[in-house]
Amino acid sequence: MKHFLYLTNTRLVSLATSGKRIVSRREFAVSGAGASAFERYLASLATVPVNVFIDLSEEDFRLDTVPHLGGGDRDAVLARKLSQIFRNTPYRHALLQGREAEGRRDDRVIYTAVTNPELLRPWLDMIEKYKVPLEGIHSAAVFSGVLLDELDLLFPHALLVTFTPGDAMRQTYFRDREIKFSRLTPIDLEEGQTLGGMIAEETTRTWQYLDSLRHFGTEDRLEVFVLVHKNDRAAVEPALRDFAQLQYRLLDMEEVALKLGLRPPPLDSTSEEVMVHLFLLKRAENHFATPEMRRHATRRSARIAIAAASVAVVATSLAWAGWHLSQVMQATQADERLEHQISAFNRESEDITRTLPSFGVGGATMRDAVTFYNGSLRDFPRLGDFLAPVSTVLRDHPQVRLTQLAWTASDDPKAMPRIHAIAPHDAPPVKAMPRLATGQALNTPEETANPPFSDGRYQVALLEATVHVPTDDFRGATAEAERIATDIGQLPGFSAEVVESPLDTNPAIALQGRYPERETGSMDARFVLRVIREASAPAS
Amino acid sequence: MSQVFSAAGFREMRLAWAALALAILAGVAIVAGSHWYGEKEKRDSADYSRRLREARARVDSARRERDNLQQSADVFRTLVDRGMLQTESRLDVVELLNTLRVRYQLVLDYEIAPQRALTLPGGRVFQAVDVLASRVKIKARALHEGDMVGFIDALEGSSRGFYPVDRCNMHRIDVTDPDSLQPRVEAECTLEWITLKDKHANRPA
Repeated sequence: MKHFLYLTNTRLVSLATSGKRIVSRREFAVSGAGASAFERYLASLATVPVNVFIDLSEEDFRLDTVPHLGGGDRDAVLARKLSQIFRNTPYRHALLQGREAEGRRDDRVIYTAVTNPELLRPWLDMIEKYKVPLEGIHSAAVFSGVLLDELDLLFPHALLVTFTPGDAMRQTYFRDREIKFSRLTPIDLEEGQTLGGMIAEETTRTWQYLDSLRHFGTEDRLEVFVLVHKNDRAAVEPALRDFAQLQYRLLDMEEVALKLGLRPPPLDSTSEEVMVHLFLLKRAENHFATPEMRRHATRRSARIAIAAASVAVVATSLAWAGWHLSQVMQATQADERLEHQISAFNRESEDITRTLPSFGVGGATMRDAVTFYNGSLRDFPRLGDFLAPVSTVLRDHPQVRLTQLAWTASDDPKAMPRIHAIAPHDAPPVKAMPRLATGQALNTPEETANPPFSDGRYQVALLEATVHVPTDDFRGATAEAERIATDIGQLPGFSAEVVESPLDTNPAIALQGRYPERETGSMDARFVLRVIREASAPAS
Repeated sequence: MSQVFSAAGFREMRLAWAALALAILAGVAIVAGSHWYGEKEKRDSADYSRRLREARARVDSARRERDNLQQSADVFRTLVDRGMLQTESRLDVVELLNTLRVRYQLVLDYEIAPQRALTLPGGRVFQAVDVLASRVKIKARALHEGDMVGFIDALEGSSRGFYPVDRCNMHRIDVTDPDSLQPRVEAECTLEWITLKDKHANRPA
């Protein structure tokens, strides 16, 4: 809710608004009785912020130009000028109106002031007494330019004629939309004079005054807009005669109200309701109220701003907390889903564990046992599997007789089983003198007390055999030993070599020949094969 | 603004300023509280995620173990049936050797060393089982090398126990009378009698 006071020289109109509508109107005489009634009325609206429009004949206007300056300097110059021009009133205001087009391009200024502050003081004292938030004191004349703007009445020279409560007529001159002059004239009709006649006389006089101030060129024409209610139209319109420098245009109050959205329209030609409605549409700056006068409104605005900030802080924090909590709720729902998943996984684990084959031992025991078996025992070589293919080869060499076998399963392909040489029955007459005598072990140390378990990748065997050949047929015996080694080596996965030949012809070894007196005609030549079988070879 | 921030302004607006201060305090408390609660929930969520990962890992592990064990079950059953996880029963071995000796008509000497922890290639050890072995040295004489090979083969393929033979020496024995019924082959073999011991449980009966 807002409260507007429209003060004229004889009347004070109070208009209360709600939203964009005027909801109540009271009118008081500016006399003592009216002031008392107003004070009582004001007390009931003490908390409602108030704006005061003044429409007084004691409002003066002065045009001026000042050098174009920066903000602080300009304010200081204007304040000094105002104090010089209107030294007896605190209700004064300087209105900047742009810059001159030529010369130094000075700032154009119009000064306005209520030259008799006593007209305002009692009302403002009441306002101060009740600590009513005074938002501003506005010049109705200055503000009335908004009416022409809102009605799109944009002319180089316009004179707006309005009527004020208390029977007065205000003429305000706008040049290029800038107020240059305003004058309030009491409506005091002479006998036989009509309102229209008075308007014609006063506007003509104003035109002459403005023309004397050289506001018009030879081709300029002053457009006079008269805001009048239809009830007064008949008394106004006939008396207004246009001529070359002056043209009248009547603004019908109801049409204006309709165009501005003012409902209900005013019931007479006074303009205060239009001004208040325009103010609600387009807020005007304060003209005359000092910061001290406006302090209650300023503090009220600050309180509202602080309250709004407080609410905003709490609302923002609540919104933030709400958003956060919504995230938490989502996270909680996700956690519940996770909890269900965890429960499902745990149940599945328990089910699996319950149904695992246990054999009375743990899974790790079972796994280790099977791993050991598969890695170390399942494919561990067997002597029978080694001998079977070798036997098939030996069958193809009937003159060869196996006398000794030393076999071992090892993870070292260089392993050498222990063997003790056995002398043949029908020994050859010539023999090498080996480093090891017959009956001695061929090589390899004795095993330790705790031999490591081999993976059995290699099967290594020493095969001691004799070949029955004619006496002194060492070449044939050697060739046969080589052949049998070759044949064994052709078995899948087998390799074989002759490690002791029927006759070792190594120059580093001594040879001995000893022929008996009676020769048998044949001999058994001894040789030793070393056979290796690798586990990766397929079993024969 | 000087009307607001003057001493009189502060006095007149002290309730508004107090309300703003309270609102800020309340806002800070609300934000801090909800932030604390959110962080707590975040930690809880992280904990749930960790627990889910652990549960999923347990399930995966159980599934793997189930799959492995299902594949291994038959093998393990065989091992159990063959007494690999039982305490070494030397009487069984004595009876087995005697049975095979009679079957293959051998002259048999043997020696079973004290049981020991078997050293595996690369020093490998198992978490759940100890590998134990008793080294058995056999010295035998047979009428025919086929009997000797058959004896060794039967020992290695015994349905009770595991006896991998890792070395064997066989040689012919000279006989003066070829027609006499005397051993013709002599062999000296060594084997490992292997059993497993469950580290974490009592042995099954």
